[in-house]
Amino acid sequence: MNLGHIVGAEFAWLIPGLCLTAFVITLVFGKFLPGRGSYISIAAILGAFLLFCSVFLDFVSNGLTPVSVDIQWIYIGDLGITWGFQVDRISVVMLGLVTLISLIVQVYSVGYMDGEPRFGWYFTLQALFAAAMLVLVLADNLLFLYIAWELVGLGSYLLIGFWYERRSASEAAKKAFITTRIGDVGLLIGIILLFKATGTFHISSIIHAANSGGISENTLICASLLIFLGAMGKSAQFPFHVWLPDAMEGPTPVSALIHAATMVVAGVYLVARMLPLFEMAPGVLPTVAVVGLFTFLFAGSIALVMTDIKRVLAYSTVSHLGLMMISLGAAGLAAAMIHLVAHGVSKALLFLGAGNVMHGMNNETNCLNMGGLQKKMPITAYSFMIGALSLAGIAPLAGFFSKDEILLAVFHKMGPIFLTLTLIGVFLSSLYMARLFLIVFRGNYRTERAKKAEESPAIMTVPIVVLAIFAVTLGAVVIPIANYQGLGTFIDASHHFRMLSWLTVMSSLIAICGMAVGWLYYGTSRLSPEKMSLRLGAFYRVIINKYYVDEIYQWVIDNLILAFSKFLAVFDRVVVNDTGIDGAGMSVLLSAIKVRLIHTGRLYNYSTAMVFGLLTVAIFWWFI
Amino acid sequence: MTLSLGFFYIAAAFVIFGGLGVVLTRNIIYAAFALLISMVGIAGIFLLAFAEFLALVQLLIYGGAVVIVVLFALMLTRIEDFRNLSDNKQWPLAGVIALCLFAVLAASAIFSPVPTFDREGVGISELGETLFTYWAVPFEVASLVLLVALIGAVVLVRRSDHNEEVQEEGQE
Amino acid sequence: MIELLHFQVLASALFCLGVYGVLARKSAVLILMSIELMLNAVNINLVGYAAFRGFEEHHRSLGHVLVVFVITIAAAELALAIAIILRLYRNRGSVNVDNIELLKG
Repeated sequence: MNLGHIVGAEFAWLIPGLCLTAFVITLVFGKFLPGRGSYISIAAILGAFLLFCSVFLDFVSNGLTPVSVDIQWIYIGDLGITWGFQVDRISVVMLGLVTLISLIVQVYSVGYMDGEPRFGWYFTLQALFAAAMLVLVLADNLLFLYIAWELVGLGSYLLIGFWYERRSASEAAKKAFITTRIGDVGLLIGIILLFKATGTFHISSIIHAANSGGISENTLICASLLIFLGAMGKSAQFPFHVWLPDAMEGPTPVSALIHAATMVVAGVYLVARMLPLFEMAPGVLPTVAVVGLFTFLFAGSIALVMTDIKRVLAYSTVSHLGLMMISLGAAGLAAAMIHLVAHGVSKALLFLGAGNVMHGMNNETNCLNMGGLQKKMPITAYSFMIGALSLAGIAPLAGFFSKDEILLAVFHKMGPIFLTLTLIGVFLSSLYMARLFLIVFRGNYRTERAKKAEESPAIMTVPIVVLAIFAVTLGAVVIPIANYQGLGTFIDASHHFRMLSWLTVMSSLIAICGMAVGWLYYGTSRLSPEKMSLRLGAFYRVIINKYYVDEIYQWVIDNLILAFSKFLAVFDRVVVNDTGIDGAGMSVLLSAIKVRLIHTGRLYNYSTAMVFGLLTVAIFWWFI
Repeated sequence: MTLSLGFFYIAAAFVIFGGLGVVLTRNIIYAAFALLISMVGIAGIFLLAFAEFLALVQLLIYGGAVVIVVLFALMLTRIEDFRNLSDNKQWPLAGVIALCLFAVLAASAIFSPVPTFDREGVGISELGETLFTYWAVPFEVASLVLLVALIGAVVLVRRSDHNEEVQEEGQE
Repeated sequence: MIELLHFQVLASALFCLGVYGVLARKSAVLILMSIELMLNAVNINLVGYAAFRGFEEHHRSLGHVLVVFVITIAAAELALAIAIILRLYRNRGSVNVDNIELLKG
């Protein structure tokens, strides 16, 4: 049954191509189309998803050999810059994730953004983003990837600042763009370093060159760290995490798509792609793991005290991205990718559920104003619960298997201390998920508005249910059955699916513990969170102010950067412009004003000059 | 000190003092007469160089025509106060330059002597003969120059109606 | 004994007096007179050379001939200069060279 021959893997470039076409069409004709362009965009992404299925089947039936297509673009001397698309193990996984989540989110958006005046523009942006992200996933050379990287950042900026009439939204969009930009500089320098060392942008060629020792160790270390810097920016690792919570100013489906499932994992994907390079540079992988671990714990602690439902989910995303980085740092490529997929599905589910809650609560996001919503919106509540359990890592949901794989990799590579800290993070993860669910959906109605909340229309609940089903079944894909060796081996051929029983048991226990503690604090009134916060006092204040990171950044900007900018501005105006450029011109003018006075117009002055000249000639003539 | 040298010094005194008068005096009419004295002195110098014809011509033309024309010009231009005409603002500088020039010229004359013969003159007949045969063309050209100057001068000072108005204004 | 040197020094002295007059006098007519002085200085010099140097055949009277021409040209120039000064006086009402500075700047 060769369904793969419907569309072969070499036509993978059609997938982003469809979305790009949809972008252009909705950009130009959006107002005149039925549904203001939303149908075109959804049709394109649906087509993309179906294409993905076909490409996937073709890829599998060809024995998982990578397929790449190169379209020549420009030649600069010997260097040819191509648009290269490569379908291989990890890119095909990402392809599926991106198309599926995009499809679900866009369908959901039709309901969520109903009544929005700029409805068509929203779908135009969604199409742009989908196209850019798909290109990023398929790119086989670093330059093309960088272009897509920037385009994805642009899409994120436009979508975060979608309601730009709100000051906070436009500020958040700016913050996101600038913060990721800092990382992008590192990425660009890293790419250029690699180009200088190997003469090509092509990823496979670079890895091949590094394998055969063609790149010096210093270059490898520098380039890897710089590329990781770019990944840190995009994937919101500490200290670049500050943009992600603020990005919640955008519409909730945008948060679900971009800041849970697709864009933020671009960083993880990049590191995964370049992992062979990172492995060869000593000290890089431990750095990656340490940064990831710090982010995991840091963001997890903040998520514990946030009261805005979207902020909790945002910090949770940051935290789990840290977990993915830990996995990559432990050279657990398969584990990281599995968690990427599992987290993507679960977090998208959670965000869309939050969107439903906000929709029913008239855009209220403070979860202290909610409570008891399970009775009012049962579908949302149960789906949300599934997402929360999956993220906490309870079996047999998707999150359990991915967490297990990560812990396995950490245990094998990073030692017991690391493992302990990671387990603390796991505990935090399940604790704050339980807290969130219980505050929002259980207990008594805290406000009048909560009493009047209703379930959302079908167009918004069906996507959530679909995601919940995926969250439940994805776990099974990881386990090897018969000839199928499991998702892990699919991703990374050197991976073997194993379960270390004591580790699995311990991690499950910790997760359940977290749930239990959450239940104790928030589900019943046995323990009081208020008393706990009072007891912790100053420590609590630090966490709830997000460790004052934003304030530190603002101080640096105000006192260091802006002061330097002022100095540069003055220097530019005074030295470069007034003296250098104007000066050259003005010197002519000013000297002319002085020299002009030689022309007095008076006869005797001219005569004097003539005689003086005569005198000089006479003297010279006589002496010489 | 021979007689001719003495005469030379007397004539030179006329010349120099006349020249000083021209350039230094405040009264412009005195300047014109100083010019006349200078010309007479120069005629004396010419005589001492055995250039009789030239001395004659000098007296006639300069002493006669030139000084008269200058006086006419003075009269026609109505110098505001011809009794008290001061010098330019830059007369010290002019003095310095003139002195320097004199120093250079005199020094070059003293320190680069030219081999000389005995002093002798050229007769009128010889002068006339050369002038009308060998130098005939420049002679004719010179006469042409005079003609042009004559006509030009007349044309330049011719009054037309336009100039008349300006002169009325100038006189106010 | 009169030497060529005397003529030369006298000529340069008179010339320099003329130069001073041209540079330092305010009235145009006075400047004209100073120019006449300069021309006469040249004449003295030429006559001196004519007296003390020997020339061969056709050039025996070269010095005198040149003096004749100088005098001629000086007269012509004088006439034209006076005409210009008169014109100037008519246009501007004075012959003070301090006031003739339209080309200033």
